[in-house]
Amino acid sequence: MADTTDKATARTVHDVIMIGAGPAALSAAIYTTREDVETILFERGVVGGLAAVTDWIDNYPGFSKGLEGLTFAEELRKQAERFGATIELGEVTKITNEGDVKKLETTSGDMYARAVLIATGSDYKKIGVPGEQEYYARGVHYCATCDGAFYRDKRLVVVGGGNSAVQEAIFLTRFASHIDLLVRSDHFRASEVLQHDLQKHTDKITVHFNTTTDEIVGQDGKVTKVVGTDKTKGQKVDFPTDGVFVFVGLKPNTEFLQHSDIPLDDIGFIKTNENLETPMPGVFAAGDVRSGATMQIATAAGEGATAALRIREYLDEHARQHAQKG
Amino acid sequence: MPKNITIFTTNTCAYCGMVKKWLGAKGMSYEEVNLDANPERQAEAMALSGALTVPVTVVTRHDDSREVIVGYNLAKLAPAVA
Repeated sequence: MADTTDKATARTVHDVIMIGAGPAALSAAIYTTREDVETILFERGVVGGLAAVTDWIDNYPGFSKGLEGLTFAEELRKQAERFGATIELGEVTKITNEGDVKKLETTSGDMYARAVLIATGSDYKKIGVPGEQEYYARGVHYCATCDGAFYRDKRLVVVGGGNSAVQEAIFLTRFASHIDLLVRSDHFRASEVLQHDLQKHTDKITVHFNTTTDEIVGQDGKVTKVVGTDKTKGQKVDFPTDGVFVFVGLKPNTEFLQHSDIPLDDIGFIKTNENLETPMPGVFAAGDVRSGATMQIATAAGEGATAALRIREYLDEHARQHAQKG
Repeated sequence: MPKNITIFTTNTCAYCGMVKKWLGAKGMSYEEVNLDANPERQAEAMALSGALTVPVTVVTRHDDSREVIVGYNLAKLAPAVA
């Protein structure tokens, strides 16, 4: 299969367009391109998605020593491109069902495809407290690998209790003189391995359980402290700091689907059936953006491969039906 | 084509790589200031961008006017280098 020109409309129709170029879409693209399914990926951010901005990946199968997120993303990209995937840097803003063809409105103009894979992943949530927006990128950050270097020998606050918060707090010990890790709950959600690794950094990281983050305060344009609450005592606590890194969970990148015919669950993730297909025929979803996804790189890659096989079946079936109509 | 493009980067910054890749695909040359290798230039990056982040891309036009783009922002980068 390949992109073809629709004789009636003279528009180019691609086999599949994948929205996103993170682990799910890149894995899918490896499978589709190896089956000669013409594949274009659209990425508005970094190729590799959140995996690319992760300091270190230790739980992706096949890498016994672990590897840098950036390296992992680069290898995935090269593998997909080696088999013929094309990655466009841009954004898809709308998907419309036009029967056998899906129309995608993009920053590169309108594009058409027989099948679509939505693999836009997720982004880090904000806490939603005063000062957070005001000091964004000037003391409040969501990417340790991007911005940690600006805090050499400075004090930091890291907010969160999951894998990202613990892992990135450990990464930030390369730069910071001290880190206060604020955890809202009385325990970590992070894996046992990461919690064990954290114990090696008690000289630089102090963990504060049962502590909410209530406000980010600054002076003269710089962050000076985080005000929190010790829930066990019901008392306000000040954490003097030069910067705050926030890792409080993920939200799906589905804003562009808000008014589409693709249903989302209560928190904005895409609903699919067991074949990873949405109710819009020919439109599939895989990875972090999908309702029920487990938010791991390994499962995103697996879903990408599964979606690719389903897309191949879908395209074959439609080619057969088209041939029969003759 | 601008007179000069300078990008402030760090080694672990994935978005920095995206800016470099995009400029390379457009056939544009640039000067890279790696802040891990040159930490003394962090203050310069911060003064230009008003932010504690990378990438910071400084586009200097032939009339010596300058535009500073913070982060990986194609909507601002594309018209700045046009």
